[in-house]
Amino acid sequence: MDYPIWNPAIGGGVLIGIVAILHVVVSHFAIGGGITLGILETLAVRNGDRAFRELARRGSWLLVLVSTVFGAISGVAIWFTIGLVQPAATSSLIHTFVWGWAIEWGFFLLEIVTALAYVATWDKVRPRTHLVLIWLYAFAAFMSLVVIQGILAFMLTPGRWIATGSFWDGFLNPSYVPGLVFRTGACLLLAGGYLTLSALREKDRGARARAVRLLSAISVAGAALAALGGLWWERSLPDGVTRFFLGAKPLLASLAATRHLVLWALAVSAALFLLTALLPRLQNWGLAVVTLLAAFAVLGGYERLREGSRKPFVIRDQMFSNGVLVTEIDRLNRDGILSKARWGPLERAGKAETGRAVFRAECSTCHTLDGYLGIRKIVEPMDADLATMFLTALRDDGAAWKALRAGDGTAKPGYPTMPPFVGTDAELDALARYLVSLNAPKVAEAPRAR
Amino acid sequence: MPASSPIPALDPAPIPGPPWLFHVLWVFTFLIHVLFMNAVLGGSVVATLSLLFRKGEPGRRTASFLVEVNTWAISLAITFGIAPLLFLQVIYGRLFYTATILVAAHWLGLLVLLTAAYYLNYVAKYRFRAGKGATAAVASTAVLLLAIAAIQVAVSLLHQQPSRWASALGDPWAAFADRAFLPRWLHFVLAAVTLAAVLVAWLAVRNPDAAPEDADRADRARWGIKLALGATAAQLLVGFWLVGALPGPVLRGFMRGGAATMVPFTLAVVLGFGLLLVLARTVDPLAQRKLVRHALELFGLATILMLVTRHQLREVTLAAEGVTGAPAVAPQWSVLALFLVVLVLCVALSVWALVRMAKDRPGAGEEAA
Repeated sequence: MDYPIWNPAIGGGVLIGIVAILHVVVSHFAIGGGITLGILETLAVRNGDRAFRELARRGSWLLVLVSTVFGAISGVAIWFTIGLVQPAATSSLIHTFVWGWAIEWGFFLLEIVTALAYVATWDKVRPRTHLVLIWLYAFAAFMSLVVIQGILAFMLTPGRWIATGSFWDGFLNPSYVPGLVFRTGACLLLAGGYLTLSALREKDRGARARAVRLLSAISVAGAALAALGGLWWERSLPDGVTRFFLGAKPLLASLAATRHLVLWALAVSAALFLLTALLPRLQNWGLAVVTLLAAFAVLGGYERLREGSRKPFVIRDQMFSNGVLVTEIDRLNRDGILSKARWGPLERAGKAETGRAVFRAECSTCHTLDGYLGIRKIVEPMDADLATMFLTALRDDGAAWKALRAGDGTAKPGYPTMPPFVGTDAELDALARYLVSLNAPKVAEAPRAR
Repeated sequence: MPASSPIPALDPAPIPGPPWLFHVLWVFTFLIHVLFMNAVLGGSVVATLSLLFRKGEPGRRTASFLVEVNTWAISLAITFGIAPLLFLQVIYGRLFYTATILVAAHWLGLLVLLTAAYYLNYVAKYRFRAGKGATAAVASTAVLLLAIAAIQVAVSLLHQQPSRWASALGDPWAAFADRAFLPRWLHFVLAAVTLAAVLVAWLAVRNPDAAPEDADRADRARWGIKLALGATAAQLLVGFWLVGALPGPVLRGFMRGGAATMVPFTLAVVLGFGLLLVLARTVDPLAQRKLVRHALELFGLATILMLVTRHQLREVTLAAEGVTGAPAVAPQWSVLALFLVVLVLCVALSVWALVRMAKDRPGAGEEAA
């Protein structure tokens, strides 16, 4: 809002979602991959199992090409994207958690160095040294998850941080440990799924069965952890969050469907991996692809659930998705949203009215004109009176959001997925007129319409 | 800051440590990032030049070596780029976010170019290993990295000049029209070429008992020194151009900074001339290994001083632009201490792992991993 607004055609939220999902899948694979390769190579060294050794070698190439290249770049891409779409939220997170990210960076440094060293030293060092490298990598990769999970969970359940502002209260928030358990399970599930594909390339049937059995067992353990963590995670969430996707009448049917997808995908992958753990010769390419896709669905669905149930906040109870702080609702109602939208005068440049500037400041982070969450279609049935009533109701929600932040669990905003409207009466009228004008017949079209 | 200014207000959330600490961490981690970045960018340019202008196996061998180095160096350049990106956002987040939003498509495009460059480098690596040609892949990598450097320079210039934001609002290419853009970009590129070229020379001569099959190392070292000499000579001209392209108030503000600003700058220039002199005197690198090493040392020292100067110039430019305000500070000492412990631990473990990896070789009859 203090910032110029960048509106990619697909919507900023969608762009963040795409980049985040890509990164999350790759980074979780990198973490689970480290642990699984460590187990494989340890067994290979201990039992002199050449098939396990070759499987670890094949898997390690993807680990480096995907994790150190794509994982590193997509991680930076998340920074770039959130900075473009949500600069105020990014700034707030940086101010609160920069040391946390710096700690994660320390582990990431170790992760990258050991991953590159691990792949470069096949056939060159003694087995023990190679094992040291992969276990150091696995440790560093897992520790980076331990750190980043605190920040990710904070955005949904900031817990006591709202009152204390303390780093540790924010980091060790209510959904931190449950989410960590879930993610650890998802890491193993993904890695087991991918390495199973690699194991199927083994020509020796006995060796292939051994590898499939081990990887299936690791994946079953991962699925069990993910299920335990997922259910625990749900219990750790406040009612205001779970009502988006739980209960007889969830607030967002699409999120409830996503939850079902996660549960079904988890059940399918667990059942299939259990089957192949018991009867490894049943494993084949088709089955392996299905279980890997199910693993993707588990993690991707969870991320969508976590992001979606944070609505309408970017940091729950603190900052709405349009960058407005809960604590500044009263001030902006008094002084006007455009008092905060420094770029309004520059962007308007005499060619658009106040209503458009208010729209850009308050709505355009989530709504495009005609694309994702296209506003033109949403306001199509509205006339000026209805638009004004709707915006007034949204403004009235401000009091409920403030009460919720203050700990009053009984407060219920009328529009729980939308930030409140903040601004003066004049700005509210201007926005209502602007919204209605989006569907007004064009002057040039009027004669034809008659 | 007046409400009519396009400069975003300071984030009300306090920063979790004293500002000077973030400045120190920023410059320190940026130095490491720049060294790897120079090696990567310069390495790809030097590899291309080697393939194009040095015929046959010697040119190919130099390029292949640089491409192998780059597979590590790109990873480390990215990894060491994360830390300064973090610390920059703490100090100047509001300026940095604004500048990147104004050139959003270019800024995101940078990552696409980087991904392509990274994978192309791997393509070149495996083509070289398979005995195939890789000129197209190597040259494409260089072009992509040069474009990335251009975007970085444009964003760097834009974020410290709010007076130019309005022009970039509807026209992102205006960010590239800064009169300091070209000299600054060339300044980076030439520094990168110098480092990579001196590295080529140093790695050719550093071991006096090198394997006899590496017969062309004298030629490789001479070529590296010659290339570094040309780049450094051009750098001195570009340096004057860059100083001349600075806005008047910035230049005056910088000169009024007294010893704090003028000493590092003057020393950096003197070291630049020193580097030129050392490179010019190195006519037989194999016999003058010390001079080659001195060239590397001079480059490293000049880079440190230039980064200090760059940081000071940013402060002076922001003051001239009227960017004011100090953030609230609420230190998180316990987390900071944990960060330092983790960093020391992870760096120590990385070094230990690399040393173990380099020294550990299976004995006769012993199986390798």
